[in-house]
Amino acid sequence: MSRWRYFFKRLLLSVPVLFLVMTFIFVLLRMGPVDPVAARLGPEASGAEAERMRERLGLNDPLWEQYLDFVTNFLTLDLGKSWVIYGDMEVTRVISFAGPPTLWLGFWAILLPLFIGIPLGFYAGLRPNSGGDYIASVGGILWQAMPNFWLSIILLATLRKTKGGGWFGFDWYTFGPDIRSITGTPELAFVTANGIDWGTLASDIKLILPPALVLGSASMAAELRIGRTAILETINSNYVETAKAKGLTNRVIIWKHVFRNALIPLVPVITNEAFLLIGGSVIVEYLFNINGLGKIFFQATVQGDLPLAGALLFIFTVVIILLNILQDLLYTIIDPRVGYER
Amino acid sequence: MLALLGGSASVGLAGCSALLSEDEEEEEETDFETTEHAEKAQDAWERIVDNPGPDAEDTRTEAYIEIEEAARDDMVMLPMYHSKGEFFWYDNVDLPRVGALGRHHVKHNRTEVEGDSELNLISASFDELDPIMSTDTASGEVIVQLYDTLTNYPAGVAEVENQLLESFETSDDGQTWTFTLKDGIQFHDGTDLTADDVKYSFRRLAESEFSERSNFVTSSTSGLGIDHETTDDGGIVPDSLAIDVVDELTVEITLQEPNPAVLDVLTHTGFSIVPEGIVGDVEGYDGEVSHDEFRTEMANGTGPFEYDEFSPGESVRLVRNDDFYGTVASVESIHWEINEDPESKFTYAMEKNADFFEIPTSYYDADLIDAETDDNGREFGTYGEFENGETTNYLAVPELGTYYFAFNVTNVPAPVRKAVAYVTNHEEFVNDILQNRGFEAFSFTPPAMWPTGRDGYQDWVDEWPYGVNEMDRDGATEVLEEAGFTEDDPFEMEATVYKTSPAFQDMADELARRLSGVGIELDTTTTEFSTLQDRGEDGDLEMYSLGWIWSWPDVAYGHFGFEPKNTDTSKMPNEATGYYLDWQANLEDES
Repeated sequence: MSRWRYFFKRLLLSVPVLFLVMTFIFVLLRMGPVDPVAARLGPEASGAEAERMRERLGLNDPLWEQYLDFVTNFLTLDLGKSWVIYGDMEVTRVISFAGPPTLWLGFWAILLPLFIGIPLGFYAGLRPNSGGDYIASVGGILWQAMPNFWLSIILLATLRKTKGGGWFGFDWYTFGPDIRSITGTPELAFVTANGIDWGTLASDIKLILPPALVLGSASMAAELRIGRTAILETINSNYVETAKAKGLTNRVIIWKHVFRNALIPLVPVITNEAFLLIGGSVIVEYLFNINGLGKIFFQATVQGDLPLAGALLFIFTVVIILLNILQDLLYTIIDPRVGYER
Repeated sequence: MLALLGGSASVGLAGCSALLSEDEEEEEETDFETTEHAEKAQDAWERIVDNPGPDAEDTRTEAYIEIEEAARDDMVMLPMYHSKGEFFWYDNVDLPRVGALGRHHVKHNRTEVEGDSELNLISASFDELDPIMSTDTASGEVIVQLYDTLTNYPAGVAEVENQLLESFETSDDGQTWTFTLKDGIQFHDGTDLTADDVKYSFRRLAESEFSERSNFVTSSTSGLGIDHETTDDGGIVPDSLAIDVVDELTVEITLQEPNPAVLDVLTHTGFSIVPEGIVGDVEGYDGEVSHDEFRTEMANGTGPFEYDEFSPGESVRLVRNDDFYGTVASVESIHWEINEDPESKFTYAMEKNADFFEIPTSYYDADLIDAETDDNGREFGTYGEFENGETTNYLAVPELGTYYFAFNVTNVPAPVRKAVAYVTNHEEFVNDILQNRGFEAFSFTPPAMWPTGRDGYQDWVDEWPYGVNEMDRDGATEVLEEAGFTEDDPFEMEATVYKTSPAFQDMADELARRLSGVGIELDTTTTEFSTLQDRGEDGDLEMYSLGWIWSWPDVAYGHFGFEPKNTDTSKMPNEATGYYLDWQANLEDES
């Protein structure tokens, strides 16, 4: 089972990474340019007030004790409080309302490209140098070239002009479920006590589609191009010739052999796109006014809310590490060659 | 009010123990010879403080003008523009014209929306409904619907009116004020408003650990100056404020010295009246709710609207208070969408989701305005048509805000400061960089508050020595040559501007172009707002940009920052609260 040994080795390697990040955040908070007490009390604080707060926050304890406290708190998911943006609110509470919209956005931003990019790429790969291939490839390059913020602004401007019937009478606002605005935070209250509220679900999906399309645009193009190459490589490999010689039908060859092997190079692409989503969600959430972690992280960094920014950084790190582990797991499952590299 | 300018509710990050190195290299020779200007400003300020009575208005007016003159002639501060509030609202909405103090003074009980029971607005992000914590306009706009103050500026027009007050009396020495409350006013929960509530609310503003503006109660020059005892570390002894509850509806306050601005100061949201004992953050009260709850999850005031829901970062909704003692609102509720991005704000407004809104400069076109100026200098008319085919009402208000470049005099010699003023053309800046969304500023005090009135202000502009709305490179070259700075041997200077104001970045870059070849090499640095504050307090800024917004139209509430002794950065942020000028270095007994 050396495949699994490989997997666990990767799993163990993520522990030091986690500690490095926590240490980095600790150093940033305790020795960085921003004095936590001053940041919370503001410029009008008296010396005595500051001293009381220092004592209360444990800033007078020896540094190693503070570090231990800090690490145990983080590991037990006690992430401290925001200072500035949501003054004195527990970070966990901020995450409880800002996390779901970000997950919702990320979910669709991964799903859309998967269901658009990969099929298109496979289609192009199976018909190389045809008209359809050219259109798909050029389209992919265009999508990848358009920056997120620009695409967001264009989408906003285009969609809002359809209100009350735009071109050909198309009105995005009444198309499917009605929505009041194309900006704003999805409610995500579609799971109710009496089952799923399909209406809310539909409008939540409709609300998230434009930002998810923008956020997923680059990955969609990347998946298209790599999918196309992967298919071409696999189709021209020897075992396909062998299979053909054995008299298997094209359908069996493609569905059973080619697709599975073509998916291998796509795994890191898909998971790497997920890392990009974390950074990308900042700008997209801001432009579409979605009250998610990305937008709050942006505000926290701009306004010097170090504990909130640090806690979110920690969360992002955990997410990235988990994604890495997922990637290794997928590799282990899909690719039989993993772990045999000697 | 500085915090307003950092975008949203920014907290000044003070006390960052940046050690000032004692052996700073003397790159350029700066002579701290005393200037008569600094002395003049110091004397003038002391005269203002010594003559607070209502009969000494002329003395104060003279002193105000002297401070402006000293700042101008010594060029410690170059005013650039006064803010212009521009508002747009759809035709089915009827609301009072906003005045110079801004939209966060407008109570929406007189606002009418045809065809909708809800008034929809856009707000910046904020995190508190507690009046004593509010320092930003976004929360102020919501708090003013929930809570009332004793006096107010209806719709932000700078004329004080009684709100919760029935009447007031002043003693002969001007130090004791007796306030009588209107009878029969109730909080949202049905309890009666009494004098005890007033005392408790004022005590919270002064004593609570959550108060951001306790100086509004205790300081005479930037507040009421109510008499009190101080502890050893500069705090207030609990319950030592000279506030006396005479009877159910009468309360008496005693000031340290007469203060002409009492009724104006009382309009600030910090003085909103909350029910006695609601939070246990002052001595002697256990509190009915925790502060966290009071901060975001409830409100109990006397205002025309009641708390309904608040999702931080998303939206706020208030519902009508049917028992309001004044004009009961016609709309059933108000909803604020919290949105800070210009693109999505504009989208939201174009979808007609907002009834009353402001528009980002990228979508602004001055040619679409069709407006006439009224007696208060406000422009009122229509704007359109917008991309959605609508033409809206339009209002432009000269607001009480001044944005400026200032200099730390110990780092930048006087000739250099004057040269910057010489090459500045205000009109061009306002037209080209601000796209006309501002008013040229030649004084720190806005024209609407000018001590000698509009005509006096016109004379002031005519006397501006650095060329009114013209770029005077010759004047600049001359002063610099006298000081020994030439094209080949320029004075190197850094202009620090804050990130949230792209206009200042463009202005600084433009100034750098104009000054190159004259004898000044100007580099622009853009920092976070809080970083700029920190560096200002450390005294290591050279030229910098900031702004000041008046909470009430009192000249002293801006001029206190010019008192040279109050600009000593080595004593900031605690003992000195002025602008980052280090002007005290030019005083005789300091240099």
